[in-house]
Amino acid sequence: MKFTLSWLREYVDHGLSADRLAAGLTMAGLEVDSVEELGAGLDQVVIARVEAVEPHPSADRLHVCRVNDGEGELQIVCGAANVRPGMNAVLARIGAELPGGFRIKKAKLRGVESFGMLCSEAELGLAEEARGIMEVEDALVPGVPVAEALGLADTMIEVDLTPNRADCASVIGIAREVAAFSGAELKRPAVRGPRFADQAPFSVGIDDYGLCPRYCGCLIRGVKVGPSPWWLAKRLLSVGLRPINNVVDITNYVMLEQGQPLHAFDFARIEGGGVVARPAREGEKIVTLDGRERELSAGMLVIADSRGPVAVAGVMGGEGSQVSENTVDILLESACFSPVSVRRTARNLNLATDSSYRFERGVDPGNTAAALSRAVDLILEICGGRVDGALDVKEGEFRGASLRLRPERCNRLLGTALSPDDIAGMLAAIGMECRTAAGGALEVTVPTFRIDIEREVDLIEEVARLVGYDRIGETLPKVTLAPARESGERLFRLKAARAMVAAGFLEAVNYSFVSPDHREKLGLEADDGLMVRLLNPLAEEQSVMRTSLLPGLLANLAHNLNRQSEGVRLFEVGKVFFSRGPDVQPDENTRMAAVMAGRRTDGAPVLHYGREQMDFFDASGAVEWFLDFMGYEADAPEWDSSVPFGRGGAAAVRVNGVRAGSCGGFDPEVLRRFGIKQPAWFLDIDLDLLMGVKKKERSFRPLPKFPAVFRDIAVILPQQTPAAALMDAVAKGGGGLLERAEIFDVFTGRNVEPGKKSVAVRLVFRSGNSTLKDKQVNRALDGILKVISAELGGKLRES
Amino acid sequence: MDEAIESLRKEALAALEACRDPAALSEFRVAYLGRNGAVKGLLGRLSELPPEERPAFGRDANLLKRELEEAFAAREKEMGGSGGGDADAVDITIPGRRLPRGHFHPVSLVMDEICGTFSAMGFEIAEGPDVETDFYNFEALNIPAHHPARDMHDTFYVSESILLRTHTSPMQVRAMEERKPPLRMIAPGKVYRCDSDVTHTPMFHQVEGFLVDESVSFADLKGVLSLFITRTFSPDTPIRFRPSFFPFTEPSAEVDIGCVICGGGGCRVCKQTGWLEILGAGMIDPEVFRSVGYDPEEVSGFAFGLGVERIAMLKYGINDLRLFYENDRRFIEQF
Repeated sequence: MKFTLSWLREYVDHGLSADRLAAGLTMAGLEVDSVEELGAGLDQVVIARVEAVEPHPSADRLHVCRVNDGEGELQIVCGAANVRPGMNAVLARIGAELPGGFRIKKAKLRGVESFGMLCSEAELGLAEEARGIMEVEDALVPGVPVAEALGLADTMIEVDLTPNRADCASVIGIAREVAAFSGAELKRPAVRGPRFADQAPFSVGIDDYGLCPRYCGCLIRGVKVGPSPWWLAKRLLSVGLRPINNVVDITNYVMLEQGQPLHAFDFARIEGGGVVARPAREGEKIVTLDGRERELSAGMLVIADSRGPVAVAGVMGGEGSQVSENTVDILLESACFSPVSVRRTARNLNLATDSSYRFERGVDPGNTAAALSRAVDLILEICGGRVDGALDVKEGEFRGASLRLRPERCNRLLGTALSPDDIAGMLAAIGMECRTAAGGALEVTVPTFRIDIEREVDLIEEVARLVGYDRIGETLPKVTLAPARESGERLFRLKAARAMVAAGFLEAVNYSFVSPDHREKLGLEADDGLMVRLLNPLAEEQSVMRTSLLPGLLANLAHNLNRQSEGVRLFEVGKVFFSRGPDVQPDENTRMAAVMAGRRTDGAPVLHYGREQMDFFDASGAVEWFLDFMGYEADAPEWDSSVPFGRGGAAAVRVNGVRAGSCGGFDPEVLRRFGIKQPAWFLDIDLDLLMGVKKKERSFRPLPKFPAVFRDIAVILPQQTPAAALMDAVAKGGGGLLERAEIFDVFTGRNVEPGKKSVAVRLVFRSGNSTLKDKQVNRALDGILKVISAELGGKLRES
Repeated sequence: MDEAIESLRKEALAALEACRDPAALSEFRVAYLGRNGAVKGLLGRLSELPPEERPAFGRDANLLKRELEEAFAAREKEMGGSGGGDADAVDITIPGRRLPRGHFHPVSLVMDEICGTFSAMGFEIAEGPDVETDFYNFEALNIPAHHPARDMHDTFYVSESILLRTHTSPMQVRAMEERKPPLRMIAPGKVYRCDSDVTHTPMFHQVEGFLVDESVSFADLKGVLSLFITRTFSPDTPIRFRPSFFPFTEPSAEVDIGCVICGGGGCRVCKQTGWLEILGAGMIDPEVFRSVGYDPEEVSGFAFGLGVERIAMLKYGINDLRLFYENDRRFIEQF
């Protein structure tokens, strides 16, 4: 909602500066979005008379003018078609800076010097667009600054209205609030208006009072349609509306002043001498004022004549009956339409107008006739003509609600200590009359313009607003102590993130929606039934809910590698979504996934760590670290060749026999689809599943009392024998004395026959009750070698 | 081992340890390892020994020589020298042997901090589904279909009745349906609005919270939120409560803090007002209580909601919202 200070001052003489006024409005719940000085910066722009116009010697479209700027005559080159001798125009002198930041300098246009510029409305910031230069009244004296001559100096204030404050979608509505907080008096314009009768030379019908509770119409004959006087045009321009003609401008002006949308029909174009407000019939069409043909559907409310719709009720008028220069008789409409109906219609037609904006929020049904009267007064004054009948069709009277307000309830809810008199006094300032009723309660009569006030609590809000939120105290609630339940899922998730950050990964956060082809890009089947699709996505690449965290992370990986990052490790903890059928909430699955590529220790000094690249063991190591951090013991991994985005598959991550995810290297083709040209690794773990798995027992084991004995052995094994098999054999053969074993080297090539590998293992033996003797250790070692030989065909490497 | 060798060994190692600069190191070399040094002197005494002791003494003396040479080299390297006698002391300005550090996303950091503040005040933390029903997201919160308030929420729909939650307030309803007051709870999470420009991303993070008990007042709301703001920003942060509108609260308030960029003088970020809006709040509307079966005459409460990215931007001075979702490591590593 936009208005200017000068306009507001017509209804309330508040005596406040623009800043104080803006602060007051904001604190009253009418948040000021912007304050703009109009006519600012037009210092060197003055009224000037065009004395003579000659054609430009070398340009057809240009004119060379002699212009009187009050101080003397200047030569000005002008390209406008409407420049003519004797007209009064607006001159920007050399040195002037126009609203767009354009600075006027002495210029040479096609060889002819120009000492300034004649301006259009658009160049002066008065209109969005303009045809030709601005023409001003002859009576204005050359040399007078244009801001002063045209009364441009004003302040425009824009208020961001919340949906409940329909009553403030008008300058008078704003003025009412200003009056309440400034203590000044509200002055409404005096209205004469037509005499409403039961009969008129035109007819008005209402099909459904639920959709149209009130319709006022007035027939004015013999109007003279033409441009509006400057004061009226200026008002509209100052709030960003384009003047059209005096009749239309008056309807817009009254809408802005009173909050009541109006519409003027060319009565000659209304078939059958009257209108009816009725639901549209399926398939009916109308060409609206914006020149577009619109198909109407049943349920949309229209204003129709005997032939068909002439306006979409409360939204936009029809082109066929619009007021034009040839219009002589007009039918002026001021009506009340159902907010829900207008909203639905505007939505379905994808058409939002100043009118629908107001009707959607609710228009005061008590002001329909008064607003019409105001417009009739102005039309008679400005456009001439005479009233030939007025009708006010409604079912009953419109009275404001009567509500009970308990002062003690008000004080309890707000934490205040107001007396009933305090409350009544404040409410009276915004037009609410209070009577004391039984039990100390107040009986409040709500004016019809406050359609948002329906309940006691709405009145309490008004009281809070009038007291001022800043003047209500601050306390801390007295509450019953109660143990706070903590969501286990959340703590689990936070711990998962901590594990990865502790392992040196960076946390990523991606959108939950992705491109529908994200599954194909990963090599997964593109199952439509699996994905949750948005009906109204902003873009195709954000149109389905993700079914994997990896596409987002791969995009992040590409982003970072493309920005010269040598090594990247990213993880994300988040949900993926799987449809469970139409019209039911999908399955939401929380996962932790990570991607990594490039230099292993990027971020740490090359001097100390070198530039070694990551490999499979960075991914599997991260999984091991993660599971250990989370309190799980991983089962030996198994290769799963069915993971489509893995390079030949991936290692299945298993915990207590439960498949909780996978890790490995990405298939190069998958990486290529994400624009990554180097090897990259991933892990992807289902946190919901993992959370259900039993954790590793945490119980204390006494520290050993006796020293350990270390033995290093190298075993020759067939190439394919997995390390885990060797470790199983070692454990099996080592018996109770073997404390642990660790592979410290794997070697093939020189001195190892083809098809074999040498695996070096450090064995740690220890007894719980004595220091081990060589003999005991040798016996245990023999046992190990026997199992290795028997089960794996391995033998000790000869050194 | 010969006592003379052992005592020289101890003496030399102590002397080496005592070297504090290259000059001292150089002196050490002359004194012990030089042509006329102590070790050479030791070998010179070989001829004085009985022939049967000579091989052992010779071997031990040579071992000592090698040990001292190695110790000397190690010491020299430690001092940053490369073998030359004029090498400097350890260059402590060379970066240490640190490992790469992981980082949380700033949204996580700020979200955890917010949750921590409310947790410390006894608020529970609850979570709900991202894909919600129209009922929990709108209807139960007093936002019927075709209410202009739906304009405040540009909603992504999955079907007629299923949508991406536009706020985390549905948790309020779910919790109240299941339990009786007193309740104090916050709901952090991702929310979605179909709006994307310089100041809006289609997904962002919110923390909503509420407190319901027998007699909770607007003054309590002010007290709790002021406490939260001063904890999150600074104890002297200016705070302003002003009337606003939300369908699920009445009275409703928007809360501003003094602009952290310009200090209240007016700048581009605060649109010259000196104030920045950081959260919405209000007393829970009686309709919401009715929809969950509470009697509004018996209980009252407040609710609030705040945008995590907005607070992160203000706290850290981040000037571009889109940075949050690019996951550029140069961004994440700053937090």
